[in-house]
Amino acid sequence: MQHDEGAMERRLLIQLARLGDLVQSLPAFASLTARDPHGPLDLLCPAPLADIARLFPDVGRVVKWNGAQWHRWAESFVGEFQSSWLHEVEQYLNGLTTEPYKMAYVLNHHPRAILAGTLLATEVQGPNLRGPLHEELSPWASYLRQVAQERGSNRIHLSDTFCGLCGVTPPPVPPVLIPSSVDLPGDLAEVGISAGQWIAVVVGAGDADRSIPQSVWIEWISTVLAQDSPCAVVLIGSERDQTTALAIQDGLSSIIAGRLWDATGRTTLPQLATILKRCHWAVGADTGPLHLAAAVGTSAMGFYLSRARVHETGPYGQGHWVWQADRALSETWPIQASVKIIREPATAAQQEPVEGWSLWQSHHDEWGAIFRPVGERDPQEDQRAAVWHQLTEQHLSLQGM
Amino acid sequence: MNSFEINVSRLAQHDPVLAAAFRQSGGGVLEIVPARTGMTSARANGRWIHSAYDPIKEAQAWAEGQTHQEGETIVVFGVGLLYHVEALCARLPQTVTVVLVVPDLRVLADAATVRTWGDWIDRVSWAWGTTETICERIASAGHPLRLVTYAPAASLHTDSHHVIETAMQRKVAAQAGGQLRIAVVGPIYGGSLPITRYVVSALESLGHDVRWLDHSVHATSYQQLELLKNSQHRLALQSKYAEMLSRVTMAQLAEDPPDLVLSLAQAPLILPALEHLRRKKFLTAIWFVENYRHLTYWQQLAAGYDFWFVIQQEPCIAALKRAGAKDVRYLPMAADPSLHRPLELTKEEREEYGSDVSFVGAGYANRREIFPRLVGQDWRFKLWGNEWDGATDLTSVLQRNGARVDTDTCLKVFNASAVNLNLHSWAGTGLDPDGDFVNPRTFELAACGAFQLADRRSLMPDLFAENEVATLSSPEALPAEITRWLHEPAQRVAMAAQARQRVLAEHTYEHRMRDLLSRIGVASSDRIGSILRGDRQAEALASAATDSFPSLAETLRMFPPTQRVELKQLAAQIRSRGPMGTLSREDLMLLMLDEYRTETKDLV
Repeated sequence: MQHDEGAMERRLLIQLARLGDLVQSLPAFASLTARDPHGPLDLLCPAPLADIARLFPDVGRVVKWNGAQWHRWAESFVGEFQSSWLHEVEQYLNGLTTEPYKMAYVLNHHPRAILAGTLLATEVQGPNLRGPLHEELSPWASYLRQVAQERGSNRIHLSDTFCGLCGVTPPPVPPVLIPSSVDLPGDLAEVGISAGQWIAVVVGAGDADRSIPQSVWIEWISTVLAQDSPCAVVLIGSERDQTTALAIQDGLSSIIAGRLWDATGRTTLPQLATILKRCHWAVGADTGPLHLAAAVGTSAMGFYLSRARVHETGPYGQGHWVWQADRALSETWPIQASVKIIREPATAAQQEPVEGWSLWQSHHDEWGAIFRPVGERDPQEDQRAAVWHQLTEQHLSLQGM
Repeated sequence: MNSFEINVSRLAQHDPVLAAAFRQSGGGVLEIVPARTGMTSARANGRWIHSAYDPIKEAQAWAEGQTHQEGETIVVFGVGLLYHVEALCARLPQTVTVVLVVPDLRVLADAATVRTWGDWIDRVSWAWGTTETICERIASAGHPLRLVTYAPAASLHTDSHHVIETAMQRKVAAQAGGQLRIAVVGPIYGGSLPITRYVVSALESLGHDVRWLDHSVHATSYQQLELLKNSQHRLALQSKYAEMLSRVTMAQLAEDPPDLVLSLAQAPLILPALEHLRRKKFLTAIWFVENYRHLTYWQQLAAGYDFWFVIQQEPCIAALKRAGAKDVRYLPMAADPSLHRPLELTKEEREEYGSDVSFVGAGYANRREIFPRLVGQDWRFKLWGNEWDGATDLTSVLQRNGARVDTDTCLKVFNASAVNLNLHSWAGTGLDPDGDFVNPRTFELAACGAFQLADRRSLMPDLFAENEVATLSSPEALPAEITRWLHEPAQRVAMAAQARQRVLAEHTYEHRMRDLLSRIGVASSDRIGSILRGDRQAEALASAATDSFPSLAETLRMFPPTQRVELKQLAAQIRSRGPMGTLSREDLMLLMLDEYRTETKDLV
């Protein structure tokens, strides 16, 4: 959707982190758009993620941040600094926007994102209260830092803190991405066509300490395919996950042949979004694809290990599931229990506890996403409303309102 | 009017003196031959100067391979039929000055006869005449200079080009005022270790910011490996150890990336590490202060370093190039006058260290064979140094039972001896028939003002005259030569004094490092060259930024004018304004670049 740049006050949302963070910015983007439906909202993101950013509903222009180019410049400038070279940088920035944006909403507490906002807009709303060199944090950024350091009893989802950073409340309904129509390569075109449950298994993980062992995947997939009702599995991952995917296939019994598709390293991001959309479930430990699955309307089930925390980064929306491990590397895995939820969701409430794991399901209300334990009450009181009121008041007071 | 006349007339409009001179020169150096495409090509001394098939395409390919940075003047070596100059002019922006070095006007006259030059010729400045005039013309064309060579044509005048290039290097060296950050990588132990110390000291004296990555601290561990009896284990572990130290070096370089990594021979940097450094845009150089015939590990490293400096000339230089080295230069040894100097010795010291004839060094085969003939003569001979085990016929003259002597002792011996023998090591008998390089001892003795009698070396005459260092032509002549010089004390003193003056004037490590850096500066005009010229000092940068980036210029003026300023310093200066500091667009761009800079040297 193109906007007349001169006609309205142009705004820019800046998200320079990874896939999962970009997808988790969708609620903030939706709320900002809803608050000012006639003002164009552009989105600045890393160039490789631009195709996903284009799926954001009502997005204005997707502005691609070329991190590799910045690296090259920085590398050239080391030990060889010449002021004349800044012309090239200036030209690049002018290519992003000829006129500064009226407002940039910065979602990353990283100097690059804050500097990008200051370079591209006359006003910046985000983690820093008073510019790139000032360390005073905005109320929501302080809250986020506190959560990162202490964890504690936080129940506010990262997506909703992004809303807070931008000065908007969470959207009343979880927003969705609508994948564009793309062709899928080779045999992947069959994904989601035949009857039965289609399950996307995300084999890798963003960090090594969050990855699920191959043996666990082999057992998990064998279990899910051993059920009577028709079912198919699609292995999802990047190129570096291909070896793992092959090892998993090697470990699986030949009787499952024809019910397993390997998409690792074979898809672009829009193709991945399409595959996830065609599946009924996405399961795994890599939060990026899980967030994408949730955003395209597919049920997600995460195994959260190490630093991954359900309350901050669980799949956003209604009816997603997260198995949260008590410790970094679990000795037992909720294989039977997790498969049972997928095959018979109605029985979830009767789940027997699995040692070392807790099970959470997502809900959505006026304060955004909330994960609640299955079959019991959350021992922590839901303080979201109080936190929102307190931080909003602080925000308004800082603005002198 | 024929092509020659048209070209001369055109040239006369810009440089009438040159036009007249080359009209007089007559030509006749190049043999003009038709190429397969119908164009004209040329040969000289039986070799093709341009392609026999398609000289224009060849020239274009050559021009495509040349790099250029804004503001540089291009200096071309190699005249030929000027196809390459035309191709270069076509490729470069109109604003770039191209200077063509013409050591022999006859070649230019030949070029003028074969075709009529186009408008491109008006862009060419001509550097011709004597070496001095050529250098002046190049210098007046503007800085920074980038030298490019069209090798087939340049090969006709290799010597002239070398002289011109050296003269230009000297000019760069004389003008150098900028401060480089240099990491010097030394060996674990051995003869190049003291040289490393002298190099570090010289570079510091020249005003550079030097960091010595001193691997001698690992010597004890490394030497433990030498005690292993199983040679397979020993070699494998030594190789692993060198690899580990190579990684240590990389980690040290990553912490504070220098402008130049300068290794001394035996520095523990292996080829993969050097290749990685190149990918990360580090400039690397090595001063290989070894006899390339004896230590041959250069073959594995040749392609790794950007610049090689060696103490031998041909065939050493050609061998290194064959092995993959891109830039190889002769850089002889030197002395450090702050250490190697005349000493006032006490009577006791003269007694202990003094003698009529002395030698300090290890027991190589040629020395073991030659020195016995000096025993039992009517002069006092003292032999100092280690590795003389089994040389029973020298026991009577061997000092301290053949213990290793330290530098302090060495200098006292030099100062206290009437005739210092300087016999270069060799594994054979007699004098080394291929003896070319001149060892450090030659320079050190000379710097001490000590008289020396050295064996004949082919490279000695370029470094010391006959009235500075006495030389020996055969082992048989040694006793007679010693006798002769012992009887001529006044001449000994005079020669030693002249040798010392020669060292002070030409052969210190500061001279060598100046030459080394100016060579790298000329070859790497945009990087090292610009720093040496002071182009990256605060004042120069501020002047360049004034019009386009006034805020940046203002920031730069906050530094002392001669301080070297890079992105890192600029960003620190901007950040030092504090949280409430006002930031311009240029400040923000620099801060952003600095954020990315911190991740650029991921070496480990």
